[in-house]
Amino acid sequence: MASISCSQIVKSYGAHTVIKGLNLEIPDHQFVVFLGPSGCGKSTMLRMIAGLEEVTGGVIRIGGDDVTKRPPGERGVAMVFQSYALYPHMSVADNITFGLRRQGVADDEIARRLDHVAGLLGLKDLLARRPRNLSGGQQQRVAMARAISKTPQVFLFDEPLSNLDAKLREKLRTEIRKIHLSLKTTTIFVTHDQLEAMTIADRIVLMRAGQIEQIGSPDEIFEQPATRFVADFIGTPAMNFLKAKVTVDANGPIAHAGGIALRLSPRLFAPLADGSEIDIGLRPSRMALCPVNAENALEGRVVLIENMGSEGQIITEVKGQEVSFVTKEFRNLKAGAKVHFTIRPEHIHVFDPKTGASLRTQEQSQ
Amino acid sequence: MGKLINQITIRAFLAILIVIALGPIFWTVLGAFKELRDIVTPVPKLVFEPTIDNFVTILRNPTIRDGLMNSIIVVSVTVLIGALLGIPAAHTLARHARRWSDDVQFFVLSLRFMPPVAIAIPFIVIYLDLGLYDTLFGLVLVYLTASVSTIIWLSVPAFERVPREIEEAAAMEGCQPAEVFWRFSLPLAAPSLFGALVFTFVLIWNELLLALTLAAQNVTLPVVAASITSLGKEVPWGVINAATVLLVLPPLVFIGLLMGFLNSMVRIGPK
Repeated sequence: MASISCSQIVKSYGAHTVIKGLNLEIPDHQFVVFLGPSGCGKSTMLRMIAGLEEVTGGVIRIGGDDVTKRPPGERGVAMVFQSYALYPHMSVADNITFGLRRQGVADDEIARRLDHVAGLLGLKDLLARRPRNLSGGQQQRVAMARAISKTPQVFLFDEPLSNLDAKLREKLRTEIRKIHLSLKTTTIFVTHDQLEAMTIADRIVLMRAGQIEQIGSPDEIFEQPATRFVADFIGTPAMNFLKAKVTVDANGPIAHAGGIALRLSPRLFAPLADGSEIDIGLRPSRMALCPVNAENALEGRVVLIENMGSEGQIITEVKGQEVSFVTKEFRNLKAGAKVHFTIRPEHIHVFDPKTGASLRTQEQSQ
Repeated sequence: MGKLINQITIRAFLAILIVIALGPIFWTVLGAFKELRDIVTPVPKLVFEPTIDNFVTILRNPTIRDGLMNSIIVVSVTVLIGALLGIPAAHTLARHARRWSDDVQFFVLSLRFMPPVAIAIPFIVIYLDLGLYDTLFGLVLVYLTASVSTIIWLSVPAFERVPREIEEAAAMEGCQPAEVFWRFSLPLAAPSLFGALVFTFVLIWNELLLALTLAAQNVTLPVVAASITSLGKEVPWGVINAATVLLVLPPLVFIGLLMGFLNSMVRIGPK
């Protein structure tokens, strides 16, 4: 097990630069998720750490050793691929033990490890089979067993669940998390699925266009997005964004978006100047039905109700602007009805409309 | 009922196709076992007393026997060397050559553009000077230009179809590029590579023109077979048929052997 350190990593394909001077420290035992839209460079970053992609500039250290120029087999890392990448001409057992046999590990040790990982991942009855005779979920289990059996310092997962159906994805996600809790091996997991990232990660590295947008725990990423991009990327249903102008009164700043006026937290956004232009972000899940006269109450007309089972997303029109929120009491609402809902000042996000950066003051708020 | 008629029509049509395809071959094989008088009857004979005289004639005939041996040697050696050179080259083009891969592939293909007639005459002159004229080595050499390019051209897509992740997974387990090629890319591409080898084998086995021009005594079987037809007025049909059967037989045998070999290679993998 080991820490990973990436400093000033650059990756270019010809004149096209995809990673632009990226710095990242991953402490030992941590489960880190690289999250971002497709093309953001998260897989490229992972492949550089694996040694499958050459690094154009910068240094990668694993466990303190500079591995930037080392071939993939000498970095102490094991990888699980999106397409499983099992060896089709070998049985499941041979797939799992190939690397160990190649390294000349003793036969009884190989047998012990095979037995251990097969038990861990429920593969004991499948060991004699060929990969093509397995389901997608079973194949990915074999791929994980292959990685685990090598007892690497670092696990790398490259969108391992993307080819599986939703139900199985959830199940394997839990299994991966459980395995990490027992093995505690430093892990990097790449995904474009924000829910997957939120549920599985100790820490999320949110990437965009070859740069890190924000690093933080799932809670930090969700509650204190550093940029508008992060706020937009994380959370379903997606955050509402409104253009607004600030006025300041004795009780602190107020955001005016069209006819909507929302009081902002004076503690979080003290420095906002009167008259400044901002973008405000309202998370649907942070809003709730309320009486007419509540603080920050919005009056809207219900346009559409989306039933999500235990709760519903209400899409409303508030003074000409579309605002959606989530409530459990959606079954009492009808399209066209008037509805009042509110959001607490400390749950309103404020972003600079030019840079997209959060205007929250840099204190560790709860 | 309509379905049944449909089925019968389809089957009848297939039967006709099979007869058209296999009929001449069947007739040739039959002819190989007939005496001349059974062949030249006005009414074709299906029932006759079989004889192996034609084969005996052929195998006793040193020209034909040597032609057969020469063919086997030249074609096997050509395909073997072609495979040794062409298959690794194809893998390199498919996986490692980044910038010039397409150009190299086009160049390789372009070697096949020129009609053999165009190179035959210069080759005679060069071979006479080098002392390669009428040698098996000379034939192998000239056939290699054809076999290497065909094998490369057909093997590149075979390697491209091998999932890149599998090669990467092997590299992650510490395999060097050569080991990745030998233990993973090659066995996984084997079924397609096998097709490329067989195609090349047949291509060269049937080659007539270059063998005709570049060899005088040490000729291959197609040259000998072609010469039998011009023996005179009394065409030895039985002998020609038997020669044809012999000409067709080795490719079939080689295909069978190669198939078994490659299949086992796919199955075993590392120890």
